[in-house]
Amino acid sequence: MKYFRFRDVILTTLAVALLAVPTLADGEGGPVYGGDLTVALPAELPGLDPTTNTAAVIDRVMYNNVYQGLVRINRSGDITPCLARSWEVAEDGKKYTFFLREGVTFHNGDPFTSSDVAYSLNRVRDPDFPVPHPEYYRAIEDVNLTGRYSVEVHLREPSSIFIFNLARGDSVMLSEDVDDHSRNPIGTGPFVFSEWQEGQRVVLSRFKDYYEEGLPYIDSVAFEFIPDVNTQITALRSGDIDAIPYLNSPENALTLKSDADVKVLEGVTTWEVILAMNNSVEPLDDPRVRQAINYGINCSEVVEGVTFGFGEPIGSLMSPTNPNYLDLSWVYTYNPEKAKQLLAEAGYPEGFSATLTLPSNYTLSVRSGKIIAEQLKEIGIDLRVRKIGWGQWLQKVFSNAEYEMTVIGHAEAFDISIYANPDYYFKYDDERFAEVIERAEKEVDKSERRGLYAIAQWILAKEVPSAFLFSAPSLPAVRGTVRNWWHDYPIPVVDVTRVWKAG
Amino acid sequence: MVSYTVRRVIELLLTLLVVSLVIFTVVRVIPGDPAQVILGVNAGPENLSALREELGLNRPIIVQYLDWVRGLVCFDLGESITYNRPVSLLILDRLGVTIPLTALAVLLGLTVALPLGVFAATRRSRGVDMGIVAISQLGISIPAFWLGILLLTLFSVNLGWLPSGGFTGWVRGPGRALASLFLPVLTLGLIQAAGLTRMTRASVLDVLSSDFVRTARSKGLPERDVLFKHVLKNSSISIVTLVGLQIGQLLAGAIVVEMVFHLPGLGRLLMTSLQQRDLPLVQGVVTVLVAAIIIINFLVDLTYSLIDPRIRFG
Repeated sequence: MKYFRFRDVILTTLAVALLAVPTLADGEGGPVYGGDLTVALPAELPGLDPTTNTAAVIDRVMYNNVYQGLVRINRSGDITPCLARSWEVAEDGKKYTFFLREGVTFHNGDPFTSSDVAYSLNRVRDPDFPVPHPEYYRAIEDVNLTGRYSVEVHLREPSSIFIFNLARGDSVMLSEDVDDHSRNPIGTGPFVFSEWQEGQRVVLSRFKDYYEEGLPYIDSVAFEFIPDVNTQITALRSGDIDAIPYLNSPENALTLKSDADVKVLEGVTTWEVILAMNNSVEPLDDPRVRQAINYGINCSEVVEGVTFGFGEPIGSLMSPTNPNYLDLSWVYTYNPEKAKQLLAEAGYPEGFSATLTLPSNYTLSVRSGKIIAEQLKEIGIDLRVRKIGWGQWLQKVFSNAEYEMTVIGHAEAFDISIYANPDYYFKYDDERFAEVIERAEKEVDKSERRGLYAIAQWILAKEVPSAFLFSAPSLPAVRGTVRNWWHDYPIPVVDVTRVWKAG
Repeated sequence: MVSYTVRRVIELLLTLLVVSLVIFTVVRVIPGDPAQVILGVNAGPENLSALREELGLNRPIIVQYLDWVRGLVCFDLGESITYNRPVSLLILDRLGVTIPLTALAVLLGLTVALPLGVFAATRRSRGVDMGIVAISQLGISIPAFWLGILLLTLFSVNLGWLPSGGFTGWVRGPGRALASLFLPVLTLGLIQAAGLTRMTRASVLDVLSSDFVRTARSKGLPERDVLFKHVLKNSSISIVTLVGLQIGQLLAGAIVVEMVFHLPGLGRLLMTSLQQRDLPLVQGVVTVLVAAIIIINFLVDLTYSLIDPRIRFG
């Protein structure tokens, strides 16, 4: 009897030890309160109001840290309640009723109520008020206050993307009593704006009356403007900063991985890198030519060469972080023979030459473009590579569509509908696709909608108005003591609400 | 002397006027519509034109220019789009970093270069001279950003002695401010020193071979007196000229160094304003930089007469 007990003891101890190992090994432990966090940002903010300026750097600092929306996108890319504790959608999909969280206060002490929702939504949907994305709010017909903590939003027509748009940094809730949102930000988030030392840093500090009990963990966070990537890395290695939220170049991730004091996290982003083509010019207006180009591109080689294997090949304009994502990267596998055959069918047995315009400031674009130009030589397509500055790219390629091909990253979350706009710089005019997108955007039922987005992705993958290359990796690098940092980058945000520093 | 100075001042003002026209034109030739850059790729045409109106970009170009020049005369450089503050105040703030940075760098450059250059010249073609020439050649060739990163890796990552950049501001004590300026000044100063060392050496060598030095030596003057009383004084004109000429290079170097060490100086302000297409700010900063170069060269000209009484201005 005694013998058995002894064995039981040993077995139990072993079992407990085995269970404990993973927890000890990743060292996550329980949250630790206090401490200051310093985060590098490559550029200075052009203001502090995420609703009136498109610069993603504003969202990174302000969204979810200082300002919050009715709903938010969590670290896995799902839409979850935020200032609205729940919401109901009417059967016809044209009415959203939001039930607000009670007991929320703005940083100036004012309570957050339905009138602030009305103010915030009416402000951005006003056609005379300059916001970068008026289309996000075009569907709104009316905002009705139905109580101190409930709001009805009436839409002109059903829109499934509406709720996603409310989860963007553009749609944060502002206080009506504040004059200058761009210099004097008053939000409801876990951090209060404390100072902006021009040219240096923006500092946020813990909001003592934050409504989520026990959050945030850290006392303050400073966003330090460090334009040079090498300096960012030096500062991280010397411990002057705690985190680089996103590393532009994968080779730096490789370098940092060898440093024992630093962790490089790997995740996915909404940044889809594509070879965009002007579908209105010869010979790119012929789908066979575009298909040939897709067969002629060895995507895994591009991913390997550009991102050192950190990126994820895609087959359509949807990020793997999106719940509607369908993996179609297998549709065009590298096949130069088939590419030549398609070119011959289209009347270009000898191939052709074209210009590939690349925005010189985007390393991923420039590198991808050079590799693709080499690969397409194999099938007889001779690409003249031309690098231009970002301002010029915006004007020539994006606004005027004076280009044949370009490589660019589309960073907006959930942007597949840009192919439904025939005036967009792709000049892709496909009524069937536009109709599917329109139906998907109006569809209230989740699984029906998923089906429609699957069809839309499938059409793009077959018709290939662009060649879809890869989803850029999210490679945040943090000091070993930093815990609970977001791996993925489903929306431009550097949310530090639940981040803590161990010992 | 007085009439010379007045004439030079008038010349200076005319130069500044021409410069203002050039800057204004160049800033407008930079590709990229500021409204598009600010609002981004998804902005609608109505929003773009509303913003252009707000920024005053819809007015005739000549009206925009005259308005700007009128402001310049009373040191009003307009308001920054990014910061919503007067450009002149922003520039004044940033000078608190750039002036100490460049001044200390010149000081360091001279402290290193003058003794080294004279020393090398007096030991011409010997090992020491060759060594100094070789090292200064290296200093001229090394880009500022690279030297900056090397120094950062050594002092901040490996030794952990100094901060990896940033600026705490003068209000938090000059000690901390100077500590954050240490590596930037070292980077900029060493690169300055390299050029100055070679120039000092060359001009001392030049003077050493002149007749009056031979005379001084042959009348039995000790070598130390020859060097300090005759040679140095006669070489100083070309050294001062070089310091003046290097101001432009120095300011360009300051832009790079401020980027590497993320200091909130004028160079950083210029880069940020270019990225944001903040036209009033770009114009303002470039004007101040160019004016600084012109004014410093003007002061250099005036110092000639102090150094060398033979130079008279009529």
